[in-house]
Amino acid sequence: MSHRRRGVLIAGALAAVTCQIVVTYVPGPPQPLIGTITQSLVGLSFLAAGIAAWVRWPASRLGLLFTITGYLWLLPNLGHLPYALPFTIGNLAAPLYEAALAHLALAWPTGRLRSRFEVGVVVANYTWNIGQSFISMFFWNPQTNCGPSCPANLLMIHGSQAAENALGVISIPVGLALTVTVLALIVRHWQTARGWTRRAMVPLLWIAPAICALSAVQTVAQNTSLPLFTSTTAGNILYGYLPLILLAGPALFVAGTLLARTARGAVGTAIVDLEPGAPPGQLRDTLARALGDSTLQLAFREPDGSGYLDTAGRPVDPDRPEPGRIVTPLPGRDGAAPADTVLVHDGGLEHEPQLVRLTAAAASMALEHARLQAEVQAQLEQVRASRARIVEAGDAARRRIERDLHDGAQQRLVTLALALGMARSQVAGSDPDLAALLEGATKEAREAIAELRELARGIHPAVLTETGLPGAIQALVERSPVATTVSAVPACRFPAPIEATAYFVVSEALANVAKHAPAATAQVAVRQSAERIVVEITDDGPGGARPDSGSGLRGLADRVASVGGALQIDSAIGGGTRLRAEIPCQ
Amino acid sequence: MSVSVSAAAPLRVVIAEDAVLLREGLSRLLGDAGLEVAGAAGDAERLLQLVGVLRPDVVLADIRMPPTQTTEGLQAARQIRQRWPGTAVVVLSQYVETEQLFDLLADDPRGVGYVLKERVADVAQFTSAIRRVAAGESVIDPEVVARLVARPRRDSPLQTLTEREQEVLALMAEGRSNQAIAGQLWMSPKTVETHVGSIFSKLGLAPDAGDHRRVLAVLAFLRQ
Repeated sequence: MSHRRRGVLIAGALAAVTCQIVVTYVPGPPQPLIGTITQSLVGLSFLAAGIAAWVRWPASRLGLLFTITGYLWLLPNLGHLPYALPFTIGNLAAPLYEAALAHLALAWPTGRLRSRFEVGVVVANYTWNIGQSFISMFFWNPQTNCGPSCPANLLMIHGSQAAENALGVISIPVGLALTVTVLALIVRHWQTARGWTRRAMVPLLWIAPAICALSAVQTVAQNTSLPLFTSTTAGNILYGYLPLILLAGPALFVAGTLLARTARGAVGTAIVDLEPGAPPGQLRDTLARALGDSTLQLAFREPDGSGYLDTAGRPVDPDRPEPGRIVTPLPGRDGAAPADTVLVHDGGLEHEPQLVRLTAAAASMALEHARLQAEVQAQLEQVRASRARIVEAGDAARRRIERDLHDGAQQRLVTLALALGMARSQVAGSDPDLAALLEGATKEAREAIAELRELARGIHPAVLTETGLPGAIQALVERSPVATTVSAVPACRFPAPIEATAYFVVSEALANVAKHAPAATAQVAVRQSAERIVVEITDDGPGGARPDSGSGLRGLADRVASVGGALQIDSAIGGGTRLRAEIPCQ
Repeated sequence: MSVSVSAAAPLRVVIAEDAVLLREGLSRLLGDAGLEVAGAAGDAERLLQLVGVLRPDVVLADIRMPPTQTTEGLQAARQIRQRWPGTAVVVLSQYVETEQLFDLLADDPRGVGYVLKERVADVAQFTSAIRRVAAGESVIDPEVVARLVARPRRDSPLQTLTEREQEVLALMAEGRSNQAIAGQLWMSPKTVETHVGSIFSKLGLAPDAGDHRRVLAVLAFLRQ
């Protein structure tokens, strides 16, 4: 809002207040106190709401409408001045605020009328109120009502009580018809509204009928001379107390503001509560709930750039939104246009750009968070997969080396030992020196074979590849220098990395027992549940093993983690050691 | 059991070994030792064909052979024992694994041998093993037995055996008959029988197990 406009508004309000004070204190026809208070309270609160609405919703006409209603409400006070001109103007303007109120209600909450018909209704309302007031003034002689002290009615052509009465008879149905039309339109607005607008319409649904009822009763009271309405008490109630209902008008503005403020808080809270990496559908639902706009759509540009789809898979055209919908692009990562993601929301939110910006920023942040999380997740998956591949490649290399040793060096050594054995049996008896030499050579060859066998075994046990876990673990236990028992090992085969991991867990654990607690006994148990195998090695040694002591256990933990498993070590001092590996076997 | 050993005719052997040099070496070794090498195969499939045609007395088979280089020899050995009970089988292994051993012995330990490949370096011992298997005995490589006997144990009835009984036990586990044990340990067969009875009662094994079943019973006990 420009400074000039603000200046005009404030000056107008000051003028109205001054006018009100003058009207109250200038001597004239006596006024009931309650009437004065109500007049001032209602009028000034509309003016205040008008200024506030103008400040808050500068693009909307609501501020203007509130202000106009406030002025039109206060204008009739001129009728209390003891001079002919203000008296005439004041009385002429008496019913005008009703048209302004109807205008405000029909324009709520955007400040715009929705159709030509409604423009017609509003124009008809203003026209009827002014016209009826003019015609009525033509025939009204103030002296007949308020006595000779009243100023003159400058518009009076011919004072006629009969004409006034006739006009009253017409006024009642026309006024009622206009009121009912306005009410019906308001109800229809509420019915067709969705999302934010519908919520903003709710308070109006309560206020409008009350004000219409008041207006109807006042119309009837003015245009008929029923004894019920002629007493002072009735006057005080009708014009003093009941019009306090009109304070609900400015309350509408307050409600609208509160709605936005609540929504702002809710959006902030919702985004904090939103679980990280929630899918876009969930994000939309959360934002829609927090914002109070059930129609909120979160639409993403399709990868081929052909269009936008919302989270429910419906196509969205950001350039041509449906009537009453507004498109807000989300702040992009690189400010690229067109935006990758847009919010499509109810038109009622257009006067809350801050709220929309906040929502867009929250959505953008949540999506960015989800994207980063997905990226990290993908990277983690890649790292996991590559770690598994590295371990698998290592296993494959070990298997290959073992096979090469078996097919190459070991076979050759066996062939050599065979040849030496045959040579020895040929020279036996004939050349004792040569026989002894050959004997020594055979022994060397046999030891080389035995050493190579243990080496190859250590690199990769052929029995694991050939028969699986039971034979391989049995072999470990038979070779262990520690008294070890095995409980059932599942006989079925598992993928090679799983078997190798389980095998190395047992192997490393038994080696540790042999190293740190040679006098202990150990138990090896391998159990299989639906999705995992649990390898457990317990000993009754001194305990006190720490996962971070030495690279053996840490390497083992890495190895188990490479297939998505977990290694757990319980080793209280004096309580033995339990090594437990859970390995997914799918 | 229909293994027949005639003093006149030499034992007829079929060799299955994929390493050519070793296969030829084995042929010569066995030939020199007075056995007749009736045929030689480089893989299990060829071995089964040869056995079907030649009906040898003994088959000498490497465990790891093409195509998968895992336990082809073992599978072939079991098939041979089932289809041609007159043919004994000695399986040669690079590694001695009790899992394979039990696979081989489980059906019927008679006429089956499981020895380390490097035993070929001792011609006499090696040919003796072949002859024993051909005669219907079981031959278990001493390395396996030694390892099983030497395993550390706690609260085991094995610890109550005397040294002599332990020696008898090891020889039983190698598949030796009472006769052979008596010869090896310089005892009378009667003494061996006494030791065997004592061992069985100390270990809680069924005493009625004959020579051929007792090797399994003893091995299973040692393996526990």
